[in-house]
Amino acid sequence: MKVGRCLLGFVIVAFLLQGCAFSRGTLGDDVKTEIVATIQKGTTTKTEVVNLLGAPDRLLQLNGRDVFHYYRYDAKAGSLLLILLNFTRLSVKSDDVFVIMNRDGIVEDVISSKRTDSLGFRFWPFGE
Amino acid sequence: MKGVGKRTIPLLVSVMVCLSFMGCNVARLTLNTTLTPENVAFIVPGKTTLTEVVTKLGTPDTITDADSGVVATYRFLDLKYSRVNFGWLAKPWTPVDPDVIFSRTGLGVDEFQVFYNPDWVVVQQGFQRSLTRPPFHPYPF
Repeated sequence: MKVGRCLLGFVIVAFLLQGCAFSRGTLGDDVKTEIVATIQKGTTTKTEVVNLLGAPDRLLQLNGRDVFHYYRYDAKAGSLLLILLNFTRLSVKSDDVFVIMNRDGIVEDVISSKRTDSLGFRFWPFGE
Repeated sequence: MKGVGKRTIPLLVSVMVCLSFMGCNVARLTLNTTLTPENVAFIVPGKTTLTEVVTKLGTPDTITDADSGVVATYRFLDLKYSRVNFGWLAKPWTPVDPDVIFSRTGLGVDEFQVFYNPDWVVVQQGFQRSLTRPPFHPYPF
């Protein structure tokens, strides 16, 4: 009886999911918030930042200050392929960390945000 | 006879509605969250700092150097694509695969720029262009 119910559940789920496609693409390493939190303004040095986060993805020069830019992109696509009528939605978001160094090579400011946490698979292309 | 007509007309309408959806493709691509003037209304030039902007809008996509300070840029994109193939209507009656395709792509791309002075206080801000929401219909004319 239990096996029969499980089988029926599996058939229902398989039937509901037919024609669904899930795709995902990422670029760059995951930016770990707990590591970013260990960077202290006014004390952490450039070498320590490189040891913690690795070499930056981009190195910028702003007003004579070095800025290390670390980023990661995440893309999620959901498709509903109903043969006659197809819906697809692709959403892309990024996590960025900017570490601003002063002229002595000490961290002046750290700005970071994790936008990919709120990124989900979406199928419906209309609305927001 | 009257009863048959009552049932046939809704059936025909349903079939026509279903047929009009045949061969339809609707796709959308969004990059980051679209910012609106309401989202950035809290920014007051000469008062708001980088930290306050980052707290509300997140980190910018790029930071570049300018003569007067620094420019932070937030980029976003909302692409809408729709396509309908009216050739599907003829498929049941022809041996060939006819295609009569109408499609339209709307590329809503914009960026929001914030200029900071060397002390990281906002000097000025603005959208690169006013993003008009692209349409979601395949009629290209």
